[in-house]
Amino acid sequence: MTMLPERAPGAKRLGLVIDLDTCVGCHACAVNCKEWNTGGEAGILPDYDKYGPEPDGVWFNRIHSYETDGQGCSRTVNVPRSCLHCEDALCVTVCPTGASYKRVQDGIVLVDTDKCIGCQLCSWACPYGARELDEEAGVMRKCTLCVDRIYDEHLPPAEREPACVTTCPSRARHFGDLADPDSKVSQLVKERGGVDLLAGLGYRPTNKYLPPRRATIPTAPAKPPAPGGKGIGAALLGLLDKALSR
Amino acid sequence: MRPAASVLLLTTATGFGFGLLAWLGAYSVLGLLPGHARVLIAAGVATSLLFASFGLGASMFHLERKERAWRAFSQWRSSWLSREGVAAVLTYPVAIAFAAVFWRDGPVIWTRLLGATALVASLGTVYCTAMIYASLKPIRQWHNRHTAADYLLYAVFSGAVLFATLRTLDLGAPGATASAAAAAAAGIALIAKRAYWRHIDAQTPLATLAAAIGLPKGIEARPLDAPHFTENYILRQMGFAIARRHAVKLRRIVLIIGFALPLALSILAGLTLAPMATTTLAVACTGVGLLLERWLFFAEATHVSAVYYGRRI
Repeated sequence: MTMLPERAPGAKRLGLVIDLDTCVGCHACAVNCKEWNTGGEAGILPDYDKYGPEPDGVWFNRIHSYETDGQGCSRTVNVPRSCLHCEDALCVTVCPTGASYKRVQDGIVLVDTDKCIGCQLCSWACPYGARELDEEAGVMRKCTLCVDRIYDEHLPPAEREPACVTTCPSRARHFGDLADPDSKVSQLVKERGGVDLLAGLGYRPTNKYLPPRRATIPTAPAKPPAPGGKGIGAALLGLLDKALSR
Repeated sequence: MRPAASVLLLTTATGFGFGLLAWLGAYSVLGLLPGHARVLIAAGVATSLLFASFGLGASMFHLERKERAWRAFSQWRSSWLSREGVAAVLTYPVAIAFAAVFWRDGPVIWTRLLGATALVASLGTVYCTAMIYASLKPIRQWHNRHTAADYLLYAVFSGAVLFATLRTLDLGAPGATASAAAAAAAGIALIAKRAYWRHIDAQTPLATLAAAIGLPKGIEARPLDAPHFTENYILRQMGFAIARRHAVKLRRIVLIIGFALPLALSILAGLTLAPMATTTLAVACTGVGLLLERWLFFAEATHVSAVYYGRRI
């Protein structure tokens, strides 16, 4: 059913919080995402022209690197881009078949690949470019928030989080319930002023991004060089310094 | 946005078909059809359903999994694409009943009612098609008040030139009303298209790259490294861009072939100047012009997600 579900009071809103300040742009999250999900329930994530000149394929997570100005210096900001599991997910409501849906219990947006007709309208409806067509199976694919990991009781509790989160070497990715104001992720969003991407479009994404902080480290003011002293010795040293500096 | 042939054919052909059906319905409602018009109605309904079927058939080629197409009728409560399918399928029995009852009874109250229903159903289907595009918030060239009105106008216009041709086949000339209607529709469609282009040319991009990646105000961003070196699905679909200078030329061609020529030809047909040739040529020009117009509608549309790759949106 592609109507968006009524949010039950107390229902979870699972999502990611991504720290743009500490993301180093290593693409490890994208690689582990691909690794985990290519063995997932919905079948492999295809690659086309694997060893040819134009390799291409379906990835749920894409890492962009940007250069920014305006914080006193130019800097690199890495931005992982994946499904944001929006509250007002237009990709869900435009689906003509009911293949695209938002789960009532945790807000995860999923595609039922057994129902998808591959009309691709959902990919047009997503402003984040988070949905990619599986050109081999002819169905739309997207981030599942590793729904087959986070609830898997065969995994040790510490591993019940999305593959991208477990693998991030700089701990720039956080997973949790954003409907719970006391959760670790909600606190992080509050402390660091987490934001919505493309907030003006009104999709109300669940995932939040923590903006890069001002890249200045307070240091003591530089001291003027110590006076060289007086006398013939200092004058000779001054001469030597001049000669060597030439 | 990448212009897919299947979608261009779908929207143009269903526009012709349902536009023609709307005119047949309108003529019937207004009581402009005499009893002997039953051949015109039967042939007109058959033609309109042929065009619509061709368009709907073409749209099947846009689906990756055609065998599951029946599922698309299920989500009419939220999806304009689903509504389009339902509306199109509902229009068929209405149109057939309209033609059948007119064949038997001529212009009576029932045929007027059925004609009105056919008018509403056909334009309703076109409206659903238009709303598929108009409801997509990430595409500023589609998500505006022009899209739905324009699709309806182009359907009414292409239906009018087709109707004039059928009238000529039936009576030897389209008649003053039908040719005036076709000419007027062409003129209004031309003005609407120009207004649409003025509108999208004056728009500003939906977002800056900085806003797209959530940076605070005052910080500017530019792409440094893309996630991948080759074009992917997103860039092929959403990153399609047409060179400005081509767009300007193509717009001129659309205005001349798609609107100005049909307008002139419809006037000539109205003056009974070789009506068979002029009306047929008007249909051909309208077809070519509207296909090109639809191509531009896609090619000029930009998707906000392309901003992540630093492309023009």
